[in-house]
Amino acid sequence: MSAALPIPLIQVLQVLTVAVGAPGVTGVIAKVEARLQGRRGPRVPQPYYDLAKLFRKEALAPEGASWFFLAAPVIAVAAYLTIPLLIPVLTSYPLPLGYMGDILGGGFLLSLASFVVATAALETGDPYAQLGSSRTKTFSAIGEPVVLFVVFTVALLTGTDLPYALAATVRSSAGQIIRPAHLLASAALFMVILAETGRIPVETHNGTNEFGMIEEARAFEHSGPYFALLKWGSELKQLILFTILADVFLAPWGLASTQKVGAVLLAIVALLAKACAVGCVVAVIDNSFAKLRLFKITEFVSAAFLIAVLGVFTLYLGGG
Amino acid sequence: MDPAQAPGVYEGAANVIASVMLLIEFGMLRQALARDQIRLYAAQSALISVLAIVIAADRNLPDLYALAALSAALKVVAVPLVMRRLLGRSVPDDGDEAPGVAGSQTLSPATAVLAGIVLAAIGFFCFGALKIRGPAAPALALALAAAMVLVAFGLMIVRRDVASQAIGFFSLENAISLAALVVAAGLPLILETAFLFDLLVAVVVFGMLIRVQHARSESLSTSDLTRLRG
Repeated sequence: MSAALPIPLIQVLQVLTVAVGAPGVTGVIAKVEARLQGRRGPRVPQPYYDLAKLFRKEALAPEGASWFFLAAPVIAVAAYLTIPLLIPVLTSYPLPLGYMGDILGGGFLLSLASFVVATAALETGDPYAQLGSSRTKTFSAIGEPVVLFVVFTVALLTGTDLPYALAATVRSSAGQIIRPAHLLASAALFMVILAETGRIPVETHNGTNEFGMIEEARAFEHSGPYFALLKWGSELKQLILFTILADVFLAPWGLASTQKVGAVLLAIVALLAKACAVGCVVAVIDNSFAKLRLFKITEFVSAAFLIAVLGVFTLYLGGG
Repeated sequence: MDPAQAPGVYEGAANVIASVMLLIEFGMLRQALARDQIRLYAAQSALISVLAIVIAADRNLPDLYALAALSAALKVVAVPLVMRRLLGRSVPDDGDEAPGVAGSQTLSPATAVLAGIVLAAIGFFCFGALKIRGPAAPALALALAAAMVLVAFGLMIVRRDVASQAIGFFSLENAISLAALVVAAGLPLILETAFLFDLLVAVVVFGMLIRVQHARSESLSTSDLTRLRG
């Protein structure tokens, strides 16, 4: 177990871990949620079966939809699979492509994916899909300032905005963890993640009620492999956001610091365990709160904004 | 630019407690139900006792343990209890559903929070520019206290019901205790206790005010008081 892996292989493993692990994490969250509600719930590998089934099915496109309608899911998944190259997924040392983009770069890729899916939904002429894409864009626009302020906090904390640098800063001392700026930025990011992954205070993620749908409604007209890609894409997005929260902000421990096979395997297990832990917290929140009415979502986001802004304020006075 | 230096663990903990107190102040600003506001006030008061204990442990000031216990007994238990009693007498059980109280908010919650952020920023940067350094707690906590004072004022202005205004006033006292802990942790215990009893006087006065207001206009809203003649 002491053989060293070549760096490019580790880089590929980062992407593979996220790509293969994402449906599993979704399965674990669904199971925990069902158990909390006293149901037996679906099997943990159920999302994999769903994807396998959808990939075997026929694909249809609405009349009049252009090639973009079918290209969008592919572009979205490609964008999601690029992000694990930029963030610390398995290693505490930066991999060669890790400096290709900073946190904002990752944010741009997330927005690109969300943009192409929303545009594809607009192509269909289905009122619900269009409603979903318009709502998604509106709410992600009001969530954007929060993300920006979190990035400002990271930049003030580390002097750069590379995710690897923040993870290293957090690891460096207990004083870095307990400082208000770090805790406030993490809390704000967590609230943004709840909103972005379509979790309870904002959206019911497994609902069948179209009126409350935001992100879920966008995929209404896609079918077969394309729908599978969209589903997989939202699972990827969830795991990526959880990874950023766990490996960069809250718990950047358990990452491999060498190229040894054992260390990297341990890092894979640690990452999935951390993502499931975050998922359990999300499931508990899902079960303890009611969904906000649509026009109350601004209040939720304004609370996140307040927390993020305070994080920056505390840093400006020093000692934050 | 250079990365910001990390404060020590003690300083960080004190700052975190102060920031959470400010966040609770914002929570009171957006909370619609008077009962939940009282609950938030109790939480905020509990935090200031925790902060007193942290300072006492770190700076070796045994007086502060007594102060923490006294302030917890008064502000976490007694004041919320009295306030709940008062509200129970003058408002039906569902708090805000009472006539005159439900529409007491002049700004929407999101706007109120944004206005609060501006107020907090003013308090923050004004006090940051003063560069006062207390012997016990960090300068940041003092700036947070200043921000809390301004947000509490904002709360009292934005709300139109007497109960919320009373809670705003009490939390103002919390903010000032925070500032006092930061600047003068070594204050003689007897003085600190005297300040706490000032709060009791305020509770009695506000209790009278709430009852008089309710008896006169059968509502807790102060918007009835803007006209000069009845």
